[in-house]
Amino acid sequence: MSLLRYESQVRPALVDGDKNYHDVTEDICRPVEVKPSKLWWVGFLISVGLLVFGIVSVTVEVIYGTGQWNLNKTVGWGWDITNFVWWVGIGHAGTLISAILLLFRQGWRTGVNRAAEAMTIFAVMCAGQFPIWHMGRVWMAFFVLPYPNTRGPLWVNFNSPLLWDVFAISTYFTVSLLFWYSGLLPDLATLRDRAKLKWRKFFYGVTSFGWTGSTKHWQRHEALSLVLAGISTPLVLSVHTIVSFDFATSVVPGWHTTIFPPYFVAGAIFSGFAMVQTLLLVTRKVLGLSQYITIEHIEVMNKVIVLTGSIVGIAYLTELFISWYGANQYENFAFFQNRLNLASPYGWSYWIMMGCNVLSPQIFWFRKMRRNLLVTFFMSILVNVGMWFERFVIIVTSIYRDYLPSSWSTYYTPTIWEVGFYMGTFGLFFTCYFLFSKFFPVIAIAEIKHILKRSGDGFKEKMDGVEKEEVEEFAEEQLHEH
Amino acid sequence: MTLREQFVIPKRYNTLSIALMLLGAISIIILYITTHGGSGTVEEKNANDARFWSSLLTNSVYFLLVTNAAMFFICATTLAWGGWQMSFRRVTEAISACVPVLGVVSGVILLAICFSNNHQIYHWTDAEHVKQDPILLYKSGFLNKGFFTIWTIITILGWSGLGWKMRQLSRSIDDKHLTIEEGKKYVWNNTVWAAIFIVFFSLTVMSSIPWLWLMSINAHWYSTMYSWYTFASSFVAGISLIVLFVIFLKNNNYLELTNNEHLHDLGKFMFAFSIFWTYLWFSQFMLIWYANIPEETVYFKPRYGGAYSGLYWLMFTINFLAPLLILMTKDSKRRYSTMTFMAVLIIFGHWLNFYQMVFAGPLPNHVPSIMFDFGVALGFIGLIMFVTAKSLAKHPLLAKNHPFFKESIIHHT
Repeated sequence: MSLLRYESQVRPALVDGDKNYHDVTEDICRPVEVKPSKLWWVGFLISVGLLVFGIVSVTVEVIYGTGQWNLNKTVGWGWDITNFVWWVGIGHAGTLISAILLLFRQGWRTGVNRAAEAMTIFAVMCAGQFPIWHMGRVWMAFFVLPYPNTRGPLWVNFNSPLLWDVFAISTYFTVSLLFWYSGLLPDLATLRDRAKLKWRKFFYGVTSFGWTGSTKHWQRHEALSLVLAGISTPLVLSVHTIVSFDFATSVVPGWHTTIFPPYFVAGAIFSGFAMVQTLLLVTRKVLGLSQYITIEHIEVMNKVIVLTGSIVGIAYLTELFISWYGANQYENFAFFQNRLNLASPYGWSYWIMMGCNVLSPQIFWFRKMRRNLLVTFFMSILVNVGMWFERFVIIVTSIYRDYLPSSWSTYYTPTIWEVGFYMGTFGLFFTCYFLFSKFFPVIAIAEIKHILKRSGDGFKEKMDGVEKEEVEEFAEEQLHEH
Repeated sequence: MTLREQFVIPKRYNTLSIALMLLGAISIIILYITTHGGSGTVEEKNANDARFWSSLLTNSVYFLLVTNAAMFFICATTLAWGGWQMSFRRVTEAISACVPVLGVVSGVILLAICFSNNHQIYHWTDAEHVKQDPILLYKSGFLNKGFFTIWTIITILGWSGLGWKMRQLSRSIDDKHLTIEEGKKYVWNNTVWAAIFIVFFSLTVMSSIPWLWLMSINAHWYSTMYSWYTFASSFVAGISLIVLFVIFLKNNNYLELTNNEHLHDLGKFMFAFSIFWTYLWFSQFMLIWYANIPEETVYFKPRYGGAYSGLYWLMFTINFLAPLLILMTKDSKRRYSTMTFMAVLIIFGHWLNFYQMVFAGPLPNHVPSIMFDFGVALGFIGLIMFVTAKSLAKHPLLAKNHPFFKESIIHHT
């Protein structure tokens, strides 16, 4: 017997329940083809409610101006930019899973990539709202696009990282969307072929772009995935790198530090994986997909969380150490007075950040914890709280006391409209996710089939004979028959 | 299929490694004589002496970190449950066996510089000077001889000890077939030790050690990126070293189960981490250039625009443009000749990187003749060749009872 791929039985199976190809199609298409459950409706309506609250909040801000927010003399960036960075960060897990893990040939990505990629797109959509509405005169938003215009010599400032952000995020959104959608094509065609209602046939017929599943289609599809993975890989790094430049190119104490780019990227992946966990733990339960999103998937993602959390931890400690070692009194003040000092106005936020991002994820060193669903769910929320506070700490604690003590602001607290706007993006995010989980397969059917005969539990059991073979014998069989 | 599991060191290889070591020794002697004879003011003498020790510092620390990167590679792939690298795993183990030897050499050199009367390299070791320099006085809680010594010794012992443990675990099943349950336990055991190594590695290579050994040469200057930058540099060179040994063994008809697919993946690592290094280089350089704060730009003045600019941009070209353009295609990563050429080039390029990191500190105004330093480097390469081959010959070339070994046989990129 000559094998194309071989996987040791020491590795746990990635698809449980002795599935065959037909079972995979049935299981994953079912949630799309039946009427949504009550639970789905409840979640969807809550999301829409939040979205409406968000729309009202933004409308108030547009009518009356950014004065509706509590931004003050020194804190010109508050919740808005904190939320922006937070949402962009969350998007990163999707790109990492779809691109970098594809290049690393990680089989477990197939169970989670579709949902993670969808999450990326929705998260970037949410992120984009903040800089746009922060402009105040939002009808002038197109001013950020560089093109020859009738406004005289009024060009965008190419030296500004804020402009680079415009390019980075829009590129990121475009590529992520292409990646996600091209991956969806074969699955949409599957839904089309199974459709019994006319409108479904039409809808999935149009969206699947006439996919027939011919060898030629598959060949092009594979090539496209690889090219997009190649393009996305530097994007995983570049997007958050440029977000970090928004801060690090300045000379503001606490912002100007060279480790920011990689540390922002690690933090982004960290929070992104936490959000993937939150979503998938719910999805696998509600849609009954726990044989595809197995405990192994959860465990692996928890490993990524402890890894990235620790990288972020090393970066925090490096920053803290260098702020002392650098002997720069302003840096020193930013870290030791404005952050580390629990008695200072925002000291508490630094400690929430440290607790949620560095200390608590360390429990994932233990296998039992990584495989405990309740703990995982709780931690996934905690990490995202921590990562929100990281951005809050960076932004607010650095600028609320600037170089001029006379302008040191009073305590900054958001207004209801700032909070409402943030809640609104949750509404947008979850509305999109609920619609996605209703109309699209949340797991990549074609990709699961791709790994089924290597990592499915039923197939693994059949490999007993090969597993017990001597290496020489095995090599003889495999290398000479090709 | 019979596999050649016993590596026999070819005679010519042995002669070459000994010849290189001799060349290194001669270079050190010549360098010593040329820097220590003659007359001059105390300052000139100190500068000459610093030039000699800088050479030893650059070479010993660079090659120590490069060989230690092999153990990092083993532990990172172990934690990630990688299977593809199993067919040449013993090669990475053998390279990491150099760490104790190079560790002792580096340790002696570092401590000799730290405790010498010449403070040209580490200004902060000069007690008189520190008293008048408020910044160094402030930093003396970290930059002091006691901490430097203790942490250096702990670090070298830690890398050597944990590396030994990982190698020992690998050899412990050479004569033992594992059942699936035993295999799971074995993988778990490996994972635990690999995790301990990685944690120790991140507390040393990725943070404190580059600060102490290298960044403190420019004792006033600081950059939070510095340690990660140093790590990236040594890691990509470490992968290149693995490539060289794999190709050498393939050319001598060993490693029958390692093929172009594995080489291709190693090539991807060389490519990817060259880009990663550039990313870190750019982030550090660009942020300092953009903010233009004198305390920070002072570091780059002699490097990118001063005496070292030629060397600096040459190093950048080798480490970024060459891998980007040459290793981009699939074919180049599967061709022995291109991979050998690129591996040598990358090791040289990152050596130049370490050279400018060290030398522009004590000797900012002119670049010394690099010939002798290169000779010293060849000596270290000879030492690595010698120790690695000894270690390869001592144990079977294949870790064939590892549960993932068969995965490595059927490997497609």
